[in-house]
Amino acid sequence: MAGRLRSAIVQWLAQFWADLKASTDAGLLSVLRFLGLLYGPIDAKLPIDQAFRKAMSYRLAPHVGWRHAMGGIAYLLFILLVVTGVLLSVHYRPSAEEAYPSMQHIVSNVRFGWLVRDVHAWAANLLVLIVLAHMARVFFDAVYKPPRETNWLVGVLLLFMVLAFGATGYLLPWDQWAYWTAAEALNVVAGVPLLGGVAVGMLRGDPIVSGATLSRFFGLHVIVLPWIAFVLLVFHFTMVRRHGVAPLERPTGAPGVGRRFFPDHLLRSFMVAVLTCALVITAAVLWPRPVGDPANPARLPETIRSTWIVVDVSRALMHYLGVWGFAAFTLLALSLAFVPLFDRRPERSLRRRPVVATLGLLFFTGFLVAWMAGRRLRSVPASVPSEQRASPDSGVGASQPAPPADSAGAGATR
Amino acid sequence: MRSGIVGAVVALALAGVSPSSARAVPVATRQGEPAQLDTTYGCIACHADKRTAFVQGVHAERGILCHDCHGGDPAAFTLPAAHRGRFTGAPGKVATVALCGSCHSDPNRMRQYGLPSGQVAEFRTSRHGRLLLQNGNQDAPTCTDCHDAHKILRPDDARSTVYPTNIPTTCARCHEDKRLMGKYHLATNQVEQFRRSAHGVALFRDQNFAAPTCMGCHGSHSALPPTVTEIANVCSRCHMLVGQAFDKGPHGRAAHAGKLAGCLGCHANHDTERVPADRIASACARCHAPGTRASTLGGQIQQHAVQATQDLQAAERAIGQLTLAGRQTGDARFRYQTALTAYQQIAEAQHSLDFEQMEDLTRRVRSISRDLRGMAEVAGEQQWEHKLLLVPVWFLALACLALAVFTLRGLARGAGPP
Repeated sequence: MAGRLRSAIVQWLAQFWADLKASTDAGLLSVLRFLGLLYGPIDAKLPIDQAFRKAMSYRLAPHVGWRHAMGGIAYLLFILLVVTGVLLSVHYRPSAEEAYPSMQHIVSNVRFGWLVRDVHAWAANLLVLIVLAHMARVFFDAVYKPPRETNWLVGVLLLFMVLAFGATGYLLPWDQWAYWTAAEALNVVAGVPLLGGVAVGMLRGDPIVSGATLSRFFGLHVIVLPWIAFVLLVFHFTMVRRHGVAPLERPTGAPGVGRRFFPDHLLRSFMVAVLTCALVITAAVLWPRPVGDPANPARLPETIRSTWIVVDVSRALMHYLGVWGFAAFTLLALSLAFVPLFDRRPERSLRRRPVVATLGLLFFTGFLVAWMAGRRLRSVPASVPSEQRASPDSGVGASQPAPPADSAGAGATR
Repeated sequence: MRSGIVGAVVALALAGVSPSSARAVPVATRQGEPAQLDTTYGCIACHADKRTAFVQGVHAERGILCHDCHGGDPAAFTLPAAHRGRFTGAPGKVATVALCGSCHSDPNRMRQYGLPSGQVAEFRTSRHGRLLLQNGNQDAPTCTDCHDAHKILRPDDARSTVYPTNIPTTCARCHEDKRLMGKYHLATNQVEQFRRSAHGVALFRDQNFAAPTCMGCHGSHSALPPTVTEIANVCSRCHMLVGQAFDKGPHGRAAHAGKLAGCLGCHANHDTERVPADRIASACARCHAPGTRASTLGGQIQQHAVQATQDLQAAERAIGQLTLAGRQTGDARFRYQTALTAYQQIAEAQHSLDFEQMEDLTRRVRSISRDLRGMAEVAGEQQWEHKLLLVPVWFLALACLALAVFTLRGLARGAGPP
């Protein structure tokens, strides 16, 4: 009986495989191509096994090298964030009362919860850097020029998605640093003319940052933004596949002598992926994200530690250049986003487009410098009067220990 | 008759109103909003400046108007007519006390507002009151010097001169006046000292209204400096447990016998501070000669106080480390509170000079502190153990990389798969 059942299953599978190989439906290959497991065009007229072999023997453009790996690394980090995010959401509870204790539970009690959380935090930071590095490569190679200008704009939107993911995820630990950084950031946004107040009113859902804000941010972080990012990613990859990797302005090698997709390119991609994962885990183990006291709307923290690269950059810009410097840097970033609309000439050499090159250099090096400077700052919430920041020099108070932060604040540990 | 009508029209014009627009406006009763005065009220025709201050006050809010204190005829718009009858004008300092007391000493009138009616009686017993009412000394303040004459606000109104954070400034108007205080051989730096003191920091920086202002120790209407035997009782009104402990000890007995200035034996009056743990022995040495039993005890108390302080600070740091590491700290914080309570009880034992109790409490603080430090160390060790994970991670990663590199080299030599 069992032998007959087994032979029936084997027969069915063999028939299925034969049908699959004979099929000319290239849908399966399209999925593989979308996931980055296949490269180049797919011949939809061939039976699927022949189409697969043809696709595997595809050769990449000769100039495709390690510097083209940034986009792939960004995609890998995105997948890491999705996986670790799903694991975190199993234990995380998005309410003002339970967010902080659930985060402590993840770190203290869940097996490898600390690793999942810190890999999530580090991948979020590295994603910003890698996306910017990818965009810098695209920008300085002038790959944004026609016919790829739409894909550049989609890339810019994806960068905004990354920033939105980080901004909404930053509040979720619900500690003092996250709470007051979000509060200050929302106050700054509320000052933007016309739509600032309305947008902040909808995001905050309360006169102050509260449980209502946390629910909104969590909903955006795990439901709304992932769907938008998914649609944009599909569009981005489809455009890349359609237009192919941008050729060099002056090709040096003969066509068709580039690296084979399989196994050469896939092995190199595998090496990059392994190295990226190892580095993220190393960073997560050696420099875990510190946790502040539980969020307490009634008590301003003495200092706010930043745990996200964009907060470092914003803080440095606000500290050293003021509001106008911050606004100017934002305008510079926006101007780069819309460069393809104005810079449509075919020249791609940096020497022939000095203005654009200078703007790009200013933005990308400015971002790095601001990040380094922001790491050195230990900010104090802007709403704290300066006289309250220093403890009084009583000469006696110092000898009397104050009780640690009240655990009975919002989201206190029970 | 005609001149009277002309005078009234001119007066109304000066006050910014016209007879046609003159209408009765109801007295506002909402707290915090300036009350509206009837524009047909004659006094404001000339005294518009007083009206501006008066309408913000609590008297206007309750419908008490100029003529209730100053007399005269508010329906008149000419000077002689307005100031006729029981017109008192601006009363002098002594008359002011009697004038305010005519209402504020009447319990039947004050009951409806929940106000006390003994202020004037208390004022008579105060140093200020005795100077003014018995000696006729015009340097002494009367009611309006502290409460203002027209803009009299509730004590819980932040603009009031007797709002807690404003009281030191109100007292300082006279008590920081070197010329005035020089006549009575009084110091003028009390308010400055108070601002720096633990009480001043609690009041001004922390906005802790449980902290005493000047009147917390001296009284308000019955303001007097506490005498030597009263000081301990004054401080005990807030520092009850420490006060009881002090009374039980030898210093308390000495204070009640008038041999020691109570709390002021170790603490200052206006620049009040705790005696730091590491300066207890030097405080004892002010009275007790080195080598005496009391001096030795002071040294031992200091040693325990310093140790307990360090232990508590270490416990606080341990909780900080646990928090930073994202560990659950509910139990640790609860235990810290227990240690903090024991630490505060050390202060009581210190005041009663109960050395055995102090030792016991110090041991309790140390025990809890050691436990909390142990918890922090365990968390630190676990973080170190996490680093061991990097060994298999990098072993696997390097193995994968090596495999990929060798495969790629093989492919380059043409030995790999096609």
